[in-house]
Amino acid sequence: MTHHISRRTLLTGGATFGAAIGMPRIVKAQSKTLVAATFPGTWSEADRNVIAPAFKQATGASVTQSIVLGTDQLARLTAAKGNQPPFDVAFFDTPQVLDAAREGLIVEYPSAKSPNFKDLLPKFQDKWGPKITMQVIGIGYNPKSITSPPKSWDDLWNPKYKGRVGLTALNSQLGIAFLAELNRLKGGTETDFEPAFKALRELLPNVGAIAANLGAYATLWQQEQIDIAPYNFNFVQTLKAKGVPVELSIPDTGAVGWETSLHLVANAVEPELAVKYIDLHIDPAIQAQISKPPYDAIPTNSKVALEGAITTSLATSQAGLEKVRGFDWTKLNPQRGALIDRFNREIKI
Amino acid sequence: MSIESRLVLPLAALFVACFVAPLCVLVILSLHGEAAMRTWTLANYAKFFTDPFNYSILWDTLLLGVKATLLCLVFAYPIAWICARSGPRLQSAIVFLVILPILTSVVVRTFSWIVILGRQGIINQIALSLGLVNEPIRLLYTETGVVMVLAQVQMPLMVLPILTVLLKIDPNLADVSRVLGAGEWRTLWRVTIPLSLPGVIAGCILTYTACITAFVTQTLIGGARLIYMPLHIYQQAIGANNWPFAAAISVVFMVAVLLIVAVLSAAARRSETYVQV
Repeated sequence: MTHHISRRTLLTGGATFGAAIGMPRIVKAQSKTLVAATFPGTWSEADRNVIAPAFKQATGASVTQSIVLGTDQLARLTAAKGNQPPFDVAFFDTPQVLDAAREGLIVEYPSAKSPNFKDLLPKFQDKWGPKITMQVIGIGYNPKSITSPPKSWDDLWNPKYKGRVGLTALNSQLGIAFLAELNRLKGGTETDFEPAFKALRELLPNVGAIAANLGAYATLWQQEQIDIAPYNFNFVQTLKAKGVPVELSIPDTGAVGWETSLHLVANAVEPELAVKYIDLHIDPAIQAQISKPPYDAIPTNSKVALEGAITTSLATSQAGLEKVRGFDWTKLNPQRGALIDRFNREIKI
Repeated sequence: MSIESRLVLPLAALFVACFVAPLCVLVILSLHGEAAMRTWTLANYAKFFTDPFNYSILWDTLLLGVKATLLCLVFAYPIAWICARSGPRLQSAIVFLVILPILTSVVVRTFSWIVILGRQGIINQIALSLGLVNEPIRLLYTETGVVMVLAQVQMPLMVLPILTVLLKIDPNLADVSRVLGAGEWRTLWRVTIPLSLPGVIAGCILTYTACITAFVTQTLIGGARLIYMPLHIYQQAIGANNWPFAAAISVVFMVAVLLIVAVLSAAARRSETYVQV
């Protein structure tokens, strides 16, 4: 028996299919939806499990996550410039804030409409948007193979770690921050990166793997492909929670880091909801909740007491947090392209 | 206008809107000095062609494709050949196994290879427990690893075209060859392989283009020290925020790939005339 599809059947089928695709939008339109960017990893989980339910309760609206790194968000906002932006809330690290503000991709944060803004520690009150947490870098190591915690960045150059050191490419914030800190320690300046690159060339014999992105970097730890490498406080906590043998040690030269902040995107579709959503991230009750495992986000609201892993490896008080050294991104940002290029040339096999 | 040519119109419109138009934007962007497209310039191309670092990446990428495609062919041809000669039940089982990897995402397939190739991976654990090596061999983050994974991940693209052609070959031809006194090997070498060349070339074109543009596999298995064109383009566009240069590299890469595909297609046409004779 053969089956003939008549034109009528085809058209009816097509129309039904079209309606079925269109349906969820119709249903969704009844309650408002905010589109918010978030970082892959801990933050996407905290946003989904803690912030989104609280937001739904407070406003009745739902959140669609766009899980993208800060640099990729910047690229998408640039591409959509002049049209409707792909998301209403941007999730940036310090360097992207400068670029986004200069290009007019984000607007000044209406802090008057954000009740928790004034309770942030002064360092974290930025006119472009509240700093919701800090990222701090240190030396990640595998406690199974390295029993005494490394004390200095110089330990990476120790010949006994031949082939066991990991690095990440400079398109991640971690990569560029490590390079900048290395340059400072080796006597370089913001215009002269030769000391950092000289140190990197000397490090290469020890380097077992350079990950192209942070996802691959996490896999290196999971597969125990590397034993010691620059790493970021939050990523270490996430991996530890999954049972991966990794610890973070803050070198004797001090903690360095940058801040992560939320921003209202220019021409946002839901600006009111966006500000409410951003404000939840600096709400003391919520910050207290996500400063606990498995998120371990460093709080920025002065009303939140530090506890847990943050106090054992980073800072015992909020004064300690304010002492974490930052970078001069206004000088680093314009050089990013040249640094990536030079890094690639120096490390390419 | 005939009904056939009118039926092609929707597809043509889709093709122009979704493929030709963005491609034009890419070419135009590559001829500008900045992403806002204010000044026209050839500087991006000049920058590419005056810097040996860029050719070395292009050359490594094109060569990577050759290595992976050849390795893939070595494994895929016997699979297709065995499949073509087996009974209907075994045949559908083999085709199912060949297609199976396509049903999962390339990211998943690549991640499973990380588990296989890593220091704590299956290959190293077996080699260590058998005493073949004293310490884990480095496979992850090496070009050998990338070639191995690409050859496996893209295997269906090679097996299916070869299989299709093998199934179309008249079985009488092999019988004639045997009757005329040729052994199995001679028949394979003088009859089957030449007749299957169009499928082999089609498979090579598909596998080659898939291998050299496989951003996920190249970066996850190869890491950042093995820089191939897709990673180079990504870093220039996203990391360095230099869209015009990224566009120029993309155009150069595309032209290089098109040239290779054109040569292979010409070879395919010649081998088809050979089949008809």
